[in-house]
Amino acid sequence: MTQWNNNFPDSRFELEVPDPLKTDEYVLNMGPQHPSTHGVLRVVLKTDGEIVESATPYIGYLHRTFEKHAEHMTWPQVVPYVDRMDYLASMNNALGYALAVEKLAGIEVNERAQYLRVIVAELNRIASHLVFFGTFGLDLGAFTPFLYGFREREMILDLFEEISGGRLLYNYIWIGGVAWDAPDGWLEKVIKFCDYFEPKIKEYNDLLTFNKIFIDRTAGIGVIPEDLAINYGLSGPTLRGSGVNFDLRKNDPYGIYDRFNFNVCVGDGTRGVVGDSWNRYWVRILEMVESTKIVRQAVEQIPDGDAKETVPKNVRVPAGEIYFRTETPRGELGYYIVSDGGKNPVRVKVRAPAFSNLSVLPAVAPGTMVADLVAILGSLDIVLGEIDR
Amino acid sequence: MREYFKNIYEAVATILIGMGVTLRHLFVPSVTLQYPKEKIELPPRSRMQLYVNIDDCIGCRQCERACPVDCIEIDTIKADKDEDLGLTSNGKKKPFHVTRFDIDMSKCCFCNLCTFPCPTECIYMTPDFEYAQEDRSNLNFHFSNYTPEQVAELQKREAEKKAALAAAKANAGKKPTAN
Ligand code: SF4
Ligand code: SF4
Repeated sequence: MTQWNNNFPDSRFELEVPDPLKTDEYVLNMGPQHPSTHGVLRVVLKTDGEIVESATPYIGYLHRTFEKHAEHMTWPQVVPYVDRMDYLASMNNALGYALAVEKLAGIEVNERAQYLRVIVAELNRIASHLVFFGTFGLDLGAFTPFLYGFREREMILDLFEEISGGRLLYNYIWIGGVAWDAPDGWLEKVIKFCDYFEPKIKEYNDLLTFNKIFIDRTAGIGVIPEDLAINYGLSGPTLRGSGVNFDLRKNDPYGIYDRFNFNVCVGDGTRGVVGDSWNRYWVRILEMVESTKIVRQAVEQIPDGDAKETVPKNVRVPAGEIYFRTETPRGELGYYIVSDGGKNPVRVKVRAPAFSNLSVLPAVAPGTMVADLVAILGSLDIVLGEIDR
Repeated sequence: MREYFKNIYEAVATILIGMGVTLRHLFVPSVTLQYPKEKIELPPRSRMQLYVNIDDCIGCRQCERACPVDCIEIDTIKADKDEDLGLTSNGKKKPFHVTRFDIDMSKCCFCNLCTFPCPTECIYMTPDFEYAQEDRSNLNFHFSNYTPEQVAELQKREAEKKAALAAAKANAGKKPTAN
């Protein structure tokens, strides 16, 4: 029995208080199902109060054994599977695969098909960046931009549905060409969309880009210096946000990209500092403008012809191996393909840009707030379908 | 202090700019559709449901082979020599009874690869998307128009033919050993 003693302070309360006050770290699972993780990603956070001490991403929740599947598919059958890797930019994925196989097999592609490919790939880049624009705002609590971004994306999807029949997974870019020529009046619709879309960028800037609250949430948050970005193998807008001028469409042009006139957008520190979340966001906004430029030029230059002329009936790929890289909305997508001359590929290894981009998270997370981690994760623009494959 | 008020001013001003954008959108026509009441007409290429015009199918199984997920299942039985199954609409002879033509739409990945190799263009995607089912097995569409009795009969005939052929072979094989 304790005897209650009214004389306070009591000796029992005279604990020794360490100096400084030691607190336990708190382990927090962010995800796998969490709206800010853009898919199913689990980030294990060790936090000290609201400060993140370490963040470790755990992946694999969306693993669908794409690479193993590809070994059992004939060459054209792989295309629907690569569509499903980065489902926000299916066209770009298929483009990389088709170009890689064509180079290995020595297939020349019809001019018109090449232009159609560039048009759909760049439109898909815009669509993908629009999803980023919307969801990034959503991550930071701005709901309205999401609706605006999806409105324009819907128009692109309508265009895609008309040319390929699919809205998300197209199976449009085939080895040796494209599945269909553009229907009548489609190219005019594309130009109409460009005319409609360009003024919308200003709307986005008014709504979100230069909003003071948004800037405060993103500027200076998650700064990835140039050397860190290169060391972690970042690519795409995430790399360019750190001020590195590197775009495969310019630096290692594939397909017919050397015929177009466009700028590579680099984070310039208009707000915040180069390499922070705001600049990564800004690069993507600028890139949408550049993509519309490319689309316009492609529609202007497109020759007449039969887009399906060079699609082979049976794809024959001689024995050999190839590594081919293209620039998708997320960065450098590389295909390493081995063929033994048979009907199926022997190995299709994918270098997924979002995978490398995510790998930088543990390096930038320590010392940030939990809420800022959401901003950093959003600005990396990961797609888990591609990371896990 | 000045910084403090500047921040407040900027936050309010930029929010008002954003709200201006939203306000302007009150006066533009809406872009959404009230779905069950209004419907959009889908372009002819849209891939919503596979359809097989079974009268034109020659049972060549090219679609089955093209499918990456094996959701098409076809059984065929060869027609007799004197049996005429008629012609397809583009004038091809039909050499097979297609006793089973099942497409499991719940497995289908809507890639459209099956529709291109078909020599008679009888398998194609239609823009009809309203076929939700409560039971997954209802998504397995059967296109063959043979009744189970007909199929059983044909199978019996085929088995008899095979048996006869095997017997003939066995007889033919016996002879040399007998000699
Ligand atoms: S659309 Fe693709 S998955 Fe579906 S049945 Fe045809 S080939 Fe198979
Ligand atoms: S490819 Fe056409 S004709 Fe041949 S089995 Fe399939 S549906 Fe029938």
